[in-house]
Amino acid sequence: MTDQLTTDPAKPAQRMRAGSMTIPLIPWVVAAILLCLMPYIFTANSAITIMNQMAITIIFALAYNMLLGQGGMLSFGHAVYAGVGGFACMHIMNMGDFFSGLPLPFLPIFGGLMGMGLATIVASFSTRNAGVVFAMISLGVGELIAACSVIIVVFFGGEEGISGDRTYGLPFFGVEFLQQVEVYYLIAFWLLLSAALMYLYSRTPLGRMANAVRDNPERAEFLGYSARWVRFYSFVASGFFAGVAGALFAINYEILTEENLNTTQSGAILLVTFLGGVGFFFGPILGAIVFTLVQTVLSLQTELWGFYLGIIFVATVMFFPGGLAGLIMMHVPALRMGKLGRLTVPYLKTLLPAAIGTMGAAALVEMTFHVRHAATGDHEMTLFWTTFDSHSLTPWLVAIAVTTAGFAITRATAPAMLDAWNDANSADGNVK
Amino acid sequence: MTAALELDGLKKSFGKTEIIRGVDLAIASGERHAIIGPNGAGKSTLFNLITGRFPQTEGAIRLHGLDLAGKAPFEINRMGLSRSFQITNIFPKMTVFENVRCSLLWSMGYRYNFWSMVGRSRALTEGADEILEQINLTARRDLPAGVLSYAEQRALEIGITIAGGADVIMLDEPTAGMSHSETDYIVELIRIVTEGKTLIMVEHDMGVVFGLADQISVLVYGEIIATGAPEEVRANARVQEAYLGAALEDH
Repeated sequence: MTDQLTTDPAKPAQRMRAGSMTIPLIPWVVAAILLCLMPYIFTANSAITIMNQMAITIIFALAYNMLLGQGGMLSFGHAVYAGVGGFACMHIMNMGDFFSGLPLPFLPIFGGLMGMGLATIVASFSTRNAGVVFAMISLGVGELIAACSVIIVVFFGGEEGISGDRTYGLPFFGVEFLQQVEVYYLIAFWLLLSAALMYLYSRTPLGRMANAVRDNPERAEFLGYSARWVRFYSFVASGFFAGVAGALFAINYEILTEENLNTTQSGAILLVTFLGGVGFFFGPILGAIVFTLVQTVLSLQTELWGFYLGIIFVATVMFFPGGLAGLIMMHVPALRMGKLGRLTVPYLKTLLPAAIGTMGAAALVEMTFHVRHAATGDHEMTLFWTTFDSHSLTPWLVAIAVTTAGFAITRATAPAMLDAWNDANSADGNVK
Repeated sequence: MTAALELDGLKKSFGKTEIIRGVDLAIASGERHAIIGPNGAGKSTLFNLITGRFPQTEGAIRLHGLDLAGKAPFEINRMGLSRSFQITNIFPKMTVFENVRCSLLWSMGYRYNFWSMVGRSRALTEGADEILEQINLTARRDLPAGVLSYAEQRALEIGITIAGGADVIMLDEPTAGMSHSETDYIVELIRIVTEGKTLIMVEHDMGVVFGLADQISVLVYGEIIATGAPEEVRANARVQEAYLGAALEDH
């Protein structure tokens, strides 16, 4: 090739060049091993339930990001592709003769094809533009299909939804999927397969052009690609993996209802994806993990989990539009220069008080909620492992003091953290 | 021999305003043709009509004898016509290399392929690197295109424009907003990369036009008032009167 190759191999640019020819395997191997070991680390049934839900959300969020992150298409109705895929699988589970000859691990293929079929129809008329028109069509179609759930009762089962039994499938090497952990491995397998396929897709000519069309559809057209067809294919591929996620939902919960199709669900997946970060492939994975934890673990602690999730989401959109993945990747330049360590102390000085202040603020919110909404006469509440009387003055003073002090210290130390940040991100001595 | 590009009675109106009022032009294969004219003469509109960005109101555009009516930009591109834009039009978030690679995909026959890895194709990588070498951006290969200097971005856009192997290249003010040394650099670049191809460009800089073009057309108020070799056009009384006199005095 060129003489550039023979220059300093330590320069990031050259390393990237070498890397662009190969697909990094290590993260995938680590992920596979981790997925295998998880049920041994978290053995409780509830943990496995959470992990199943997490894995399904990850697939769905990755599929959604094929549209939003890779293709630049904002969809407000993506739950329908997962939902319809799931409903289709539910019906297959109820087709005794056919299902008894079908091993359960193959069922998601059918869910995927169903999601893909529906996506093909919708994409055929909605991908001319990526902007507001696309978003509005997706919202309309989403609402339309969600409304169908009470109209086309034979497919969607009306208000009760459709339920089935996954264990009627053909045993797969003797496994009948009676145990949650067996279902876990089925889902984990599909998670790894789908994630790998979606990642590889982003490295194909079509995947690259999806990015090109997202950034500059006009230029892409003058390179010989129809922006519309590129979007169409992204949509169809995304529909397939959404359908797979829906199928896994059907397998895991053995019931699908209108809730799997509606706008709330579509909104949730948008939130998950954005929270994790649309700019990086692994963003939606992070988003799905955090979201599921908030949804399951935090919801056991407080009724107000949705409120906190909303705050996290708004804060992400406002301050870190790159999402959690963007926040992590922000630190890569400092890491490359070996100056990440310089951030530790300033981070502790600022973020620890911020965390304490946030806990104080959360305590205030919880106490207000308790005073306003607890049963009359119920003055006792437990917060952060302390039980106290929510109607007495002391806890309020403590919470206010903690909040104020926490945020005051954060504010005082923030400039130093910014300086440290700038220092860690500028090369020493000469500019490189 | 059919002309590489032929305009026949081309007209374009926006509402009641006629911007292009009947342009007839034939550009021979391998010719370097410049379209000049005062601001608002309709040069960019003419470009946009040819490349399918807008539909024409009347008349015909033929590329190698084939009518372009109703063709979308991507179809016109596949027929061998490629263009750059007046305002730099690249993929700013992608690396320089990726910009060029994307512009090679269609012509290398990948179409809407979703089963092969772009990173594994030696032909693609080498092809893109070759283009980068031609436009002298090898050192910038892995930077996001958006961080390049203005002149480098213009050079990149020329690279993207020629990469697909189109034989008719249209450049819309390739040297707009450049310093003298940058202009000289880009002109030399254009000369090299369009070797053996048909070049059609809109340009304001008379130095560039007279240095690069074999043929010049002067567009004034949506009509071509003169076409010919640079000396003929320079000597043409109507051109002098309408436009060139003033423009030449400036330079």
